[in-house]
Amino acid sequence: MKTVIDPRDERTQPARIVPGYPQTPLRNPREPLIRRPPTLSELSGPLEVARRVRVLGGDIAGQGEKQAIGQLIHLRVRVLDEDGAPVGGTVVEMWQANGAGRYIHPNDDDHAPPDPNFYGAARLVTDENGQFELRTVKPGAYPVPTRDGWWRPPHVHFSLFGKVWLSRLVTQMYFPGEPLNAQDRILNAVPDTVARERLVAQLVPPSAQPHNALVYEHRIVLRGRTATPEQS
Amino acid sequence: MIPTGEATIGPFFPPRYVDAGANDLTLFEGRKAKGEAIEIRGRVLQEDGAALENLVLEIWQTDAKGIYRHPADPRHAQADADFLGWGRTVTDAGGEYVFRTIRPGATEGRAPHINFMVMYSGLMRILKTTMYFTHEMDVVLSAVPVSRRELLIAKKQGPDGYRFDIRLRGENETPFFDD
Ligand SMILES: [Fe+2]
Repeated sequence: MKTVIDPRDERTQPARIVPGYPQTPLRNPREPLIRRPPTLSELSGPLEVARRVRVLGGDIAGQGEKQAIGQLIHLRVRVLDEDGAPVGGTVVEMWQANGAGRYIHPNDDDHAPPDPNFYGAARLVTDENGQFELRTVKPGAYPVPTRDGWWRPPHVHFSLFGKVWLSRLVTQMYFPGEPLNAQDRILNAVPDTVARERLVAQLVPPSAQPHNALVYEHRIVLRGRTATPEQS
Repeated sequence: MIPTGEATIGPFFPPRYVDAGANDLTLFEGRKAKGEAIEIRGRVLQEDGAALENLVLEIWQTDAKGIYRHPADPRHAQADADFLGWGRTVTDAGGEYVFRTIRPGATEGRAPHINFMVMYSGLMRILKTTMYFTHEMDVVLSAVPVSRRELLIAKKQGPDGYRFDIRLRGENETPFFDD
C-alpha cells in the first residue's frame, strides 16, 4: 500500500492571515513553511483511532422527550481520497452550534441560549463506501466577538483522518443559499471560487423519505487537485 | 487584551473530544507497550508570548523497533500490537501539554522522531512539525535551514523526560512543514 501525495494547491486553500480576524497574524508562522521529501513517516498514519477514542454515533438531534430545538436535518457525507476513491473505516469528528447559534463550550458568549438536549458533537466511522449519515439540527449563525459585523454563517466543523498523516483534514461545511456565506471571513479566505464551492453542501430535493427532515449531501476530498479546503 | 480564540470565533474542539488517556501512548486497551517510556512536555505560544489554552496536539510515530502500525511499512506485521503510535492532547491554561509515549526507533533514512500536528482556532490550516531527540542525519531535518534545526530538537528534562516547546510565530519560531 503506497500513497503518493501531491503538494496542496495554495489557491484552493485559505490564506493563513485573514484581514479582520485578529488572531491570525499572531498564530500563523512568519517563516515560509518548509517543503520536505515525503517519507514513510508522513505516508503512514493512524488507522485505528476508533480504538483510542470513543465513537459516539450519528444521531445528535435526540429522540422523544430529549429532542433538540431547530430544523431537523440529515447530513449525508462521502469521504474520498486524492484519487476519488472512497475512504472507508475512517474516524470523522464533527461539532456545531445549536439551532440558536450557541456552542456547548464554556467559553462561548451568551448571545443565545444553550439547548439542554443538544451537545453538538459526534464522532463516527465511515462505511465501506466512505459514507456516513448524521441526524442533527441546522446550526444557527453566530456573531463573532470582533463586534464589527462579522457573523459566522451556519456551518458544521469536521475533523478527518484518512489513511496517512498527510491526509489529516480539519474543515467546515456550509449551507447553500445562506446570505452570510458571501461575507464570512473564513469561507472567503479561500481565493479559488471553485474550491470555495466545495465547502458548501447541497440540498437534496425533499421527498417522502425522510418525511420529517431536510437532507443535505456533501463530499469531502482529503487531498489532491479537488481537495476540500482546510478550514480551522 | 485580545480575547482568546475560543471567545473569538467559537470553540475549536468541544471539551469532551480529548478523551482521558489519549495522551498516554504507553498504554493501549489496558496493555503496556514495549520499549522505553518517556514523557514529552512543552508549551505552545503565539507571537506576543501568550500561552494558548485548549490547543489540540496530535502525534504519530513508530514503535520502539522503528515500525509504523500501517500497511505502508513493509515490517508492519511485526509492529508492537500494544502500541498505536497515535495520541492526542490539549494544552492547559498555561499553554502546557504532556504526552507519555515510547521512545521511537530509527527507520531507513530517518533518525528517531515524532510527528506533531497543531490544531487551533485562528490557525487557518493544520500546522505540522517534527520533534527529534538528537541532531542526527535525517532527510527531513536536512530540509530545514541549518540555523533553525536546533528548534526541532527536544531538550532533555529529568531522567525520562523531554521538553519540546512550540512557538507558532515570532522569535525562535518552530519550523513547520509545507505538506
Ligand atoms: Fe464554528
